[in-house]
Amino acid sequence: MVQREVLERLSHLSVTARQAVESVLAGQHRSVRRGLSVEFAGHREYQAGDDLRHLDWLVYARSDRYDIRQYEEETKLRATIILDISGSMGFGSGKSSKLEYARALTAALGLLMIRQSDAVGLVTCDTQVREFIPPGSTMGHYLNLLAALEKTAPGAETSLSAALDEIAARLTRRGLVILITDGFDHPEAFLKSLQFLRFRKQEVRLFQVLDPQERHFPFHGMIEFVGLEREPRMKLDGDRIRERYRRTFAAHQARIQAGCHAAGVQLETCWTDEELFTVLLRILSLR
Amino acid sequence: MIEFLNPVLFGGLAAVSAPLIIHLLHRRKVQRVDWGAMRFLVEMLARSRRRLWLNEILLLLVRALLITCIALAMVRPALRRNAAVAGAHGIVRQGRTAAVLLVDDSLSTAAGRAQPAFDSMKKLGLSYLDSLAPGDEVSVLLMSRLGRESNDPLFDLESVKTVLGNLNPTTVATDIPALLEAGLNQLKRHINPGAELVVLTDGRKDGWHETDKARWDALRESLRGPKNAAVGTRPRPRIILLSPTLAGIDDNVAVTGLAMDRTLVCAGQSVGIRVTLANFGQRANREVTVQVSVDGHAAGSRSVEIPAAGRQELAFPYVFEKAGSHGIEAALLNHQDLLAGDDRRFLSVQVESKLPVLLVEGEGAGGLGAKLGFLSAALQPDAGNASVFQVTRVPATQLSGSLLQDYRVVVLGDVPMLEPGILDALERFVVGGGGVLVGLGPNANLGLINRYWARNGDGFLPCPLQNVATPTKPAIPTATQPGHPVFSGFGSRTDEAWANAKVKSYARLAPLAARAAELDVLLKLDSGDALVVERRRGLGLVAMVTTSLNADWSDLPLQAAYVPLMRGLVGHLGSYVMPSRNLLPGEPMIYARVQAPVKLMSGEDPRGRPLKLEVGAWEGREAIVSDPLMEPGLYALKDPRESLPIRFAVSPDPAESGMSLMTERDMLQAFDSGASVIHDSETVAENLDPNRRQSVELWKWLVLGAVGLMLLEAWMTRRETVPGGAATG
Repeated sequence: MVQREVLERLSHLSVTARQAVESVLAGQHRSVRRGLSVEFAGHREYQAGDDLRHLDWLVYARSDRYDIRQYEEETKLRATIILDISGSMGFGSGKSSKLEYARALTAALGLLMIRQSDAVGLVTCDTQVREFIPPGSTMGHYLNLLAALEKTAPGAETSLSAALDEIAARLTRRGLVILITDGFDHPEAFLKSLQFLRFRKQEVRLFQVLDPQERHFPFHGMIEFVGLEREPRMKLDGDRIRERYRRTFAAHQARIQAGCHAAGVQLETCWTDEELFTVLLRILSLR
Repeated sequence: MIEFLNPVLFGGLAAVSAPLIIHLLHRRKVQRVDWGAMRFLVEMLARSRRRLWLNEILLLLVRALLITCIALAMVRPALRRNAAVAGAHGIVRQGRTAAVLLVDDSLSTAAGRAQPAFDSMKKLGLSYLDSLAPGDEVSVLLMSRLGRESNDPLFDLESVKTVLGNLNPTTVATDIPALLEAGLNQLKRHINPGAELVVLTDGRKDGWHETDKARWDALRESLRGPKNAAVGTRPRPRIILLSPTLAGIDDNVAVTGLAMDRTLVCAGQSVGIRVTLANFGQRANREVTVQVSVDGHAAGSRSVEIPAAGRQELAFPYVFEKAGSHGIEAALLNHQDLLAGDDRRFLSVQVESKLPVLLVEGEGAGGLGAKLGFLSAALQPDAGNASVFQVTRVPATQLSGSLLQDYRVVVLGDVPMLEPGILDALERFVVGGGGVLVGLGPNANLGLINRYWARNGDGFLPCPLQNVATPTKPAIPTATQPGHPVFSGFGSRTDEAWANAKVKSYARLAPLAARAAELDVLLKLDSGDALVVERRRGLGLVAMVTTSLNADWSDLPLQAAYVPLMRGLVGHLGSYVMPSRNLLPGEPMIYARVQAPVKLMSGEDPRGRPLKLEVGAWEGREAIVSDPLMEPGLYALKDPRESLPIRFAVSPDPAESGMSLMTERDMLQAFDSGASVIHDSETVAENLDPNRRQSVELWKWLVLGAVGLMLLEAWMTRRETVPGGAATG
């Protein structure tokens, strides 16, 4: 439960997160907890190095097979939210930029997990890791997360793969990694990093935050595009390049989706013109 | 051949630059956007920057081409199916036309086998008139009426056709440059903006005067008009030459010359009548019979064969019984060729009974050694009455004004000065029709001569004198005008006649710029200076020998050529008749020696019909003047003072007899290719008549092309901006 005094201390960001979370929990409380408290999960074939204590002797006796009993982790969920704060996240055509939206989403997810007594940590990064807060489950820890979120600002160019590889190396225990980014990185390197996270026994969920203009490209006439990541400026006729841009964008998205599917990464695309609670609702309903 | 029916809209092609300008303006209006997904733009452009640029250029080209098609369609280009019209400019009229029809109705246009060339020319002219539209205006100028007041332009094209249809060849000579000059002047009376000078010509070479380059240069400059003037406008009229194709018209024998064998013809003296015949045919010799008649009476006839492209000169001896004016006719008998108008020729001759000559000597009088001793001997060798020259010698001191009236020629031989009264009488003598020959010598005072005799060109002397030249090597005379009557006694060997002569001293002429054209140099020295010059003054003539007439300054009197020269010169001065009685067709008869009341004068044309005469003026004096005489023949004017009627002869210009034709290339070259030449009526209709124009207008295809380009442009634009197309930037 979230104490009132804690909620009152939440900033605008936390208020947004709280409103979204409470809207979601009003109808989804049970389902949220169900996913996080399971005991026996199933069998798998024995592999060298497995703890013999987990060998199911009954199965061996019946079928002469070496099966290992698998259990859901009985301890609290350890989640790490990785927030992309690269320059491209600073773009926003509506009331909030992608980064603002992502911060709100981070705060909301964190609040959700804290309320369920799960541990949640926060990593901010662009080309490298900027902030690393290990998972914790107290409200005080959550306030620390909020404070860290408040400090974030759009940084340098996007090169998440290197940062993700570094984070993967730090995460020694199984856990949940929630990556919030616009995904404007080299798809192959980015997907390889996701695979590496998976290899490090992390369950990975990718929240791709995008602005509607990045999909529709609604520009007309000559436009001087000024990059947010210090790219060279480009003068282009919006009308002429629209369709080609859309196809390039769609191809990128398709590549990300395909890569995530192959790597077992659950991908959720969030548009900044969507209400945050509807996004949360969709996320939780998918679990 | 492409022509443009609406070339004034060529300026519309400037609109081709519109897409480029719009493109550039479009590029200047730039909106700035902070953009996160630069990755996709960079990736997109990296793949297809070259193609994007190419597509942009292609689109620009398509748009420019689209506007070009529309602009060209408005100019109305037309593809000519044939190129029958030779010339640099296509014939496309703009607005109403002001046409001046210049009709060569000269003698040669009557030539032809089945029909005269003039009929073909008229047919071409009528076809041209058919090509004009109501509202166009036309003037018709005739070669035979040049110099006379022309009519105002006519808007009634049917009337013009009637006028043209009723025209007939005349006997005048062709002068195409003069016709064009008159056409340019006539254009000033027109009001329509489009201007065409249409020359109806038989294309005969002689009438074009191609060798007169200065005249053609000036004419071409006038025809070109101001710089940048459009062809077919009044400052730069379009030149259309309508010249029928004439073939096989070189069969022509003509009487091209009729003259006396001497300048002074006296009654009772046997003289020769020279007749020149020419065969202009290039293929066959022709045998012809020529008959000479004097005052209507046969004086002799002779048959002669003339080689192809050759000439024959015949001399008929004759003795005039009476002094006075006589008319001579030379005609081919029973002869038929393509041009009958040049088979006869006429000559008016003034026959004198005696030529009284007064020799005025500067020093002494009498004897061969005196100033005019040699001249006196040359004119009157036997000192008797047999000579046609009746010579009287007086010293200058005895000269009086009253003495002059008894003589036709006065010769001044090294006379140092004359009394003012005598000078005045001498000037009146010359202006009234007398002849004066001036010879210089050691006594000549150039200062006094220039001051009182020459008076800067206003006195009786032909021109002022500069100085007396005495070259170390004596100068030799060179005949410059072999055809001049003065040299008629030399035959054809004028150049050799002076080979041994030496002129030790002579007076150089002072420049006489204002009256230079009036001065006629008859004989030059090998130094380039003049030896014999003449100048017409009023009705008379003055000649000057720049050296002495005796042996003081030259050995001319010792040369065999001296006698014929002096007799020719004095005879020329004494028989000189002004105004001329030998005329070309189109010239008026002018008789200025009016002594009797005008009402007593009457005239007759060659057919005996009375001639319309008027009192007019010639050179500031009263004269009897007729209308222009068009019909060749002998005309008569009865002066009660004269026993014989005064004969005037009208003969065609021998140049009209030549049948060589201008080629199309020659005609175009004459106008620096700035003319169009048309040979037949069909071509006139095809090229000038808008209803029969044999050309395909291209505007429909251009509009179709523009529509196609518009669709292409739309497709290209759509391909760039809608899903499923290829993006271009």
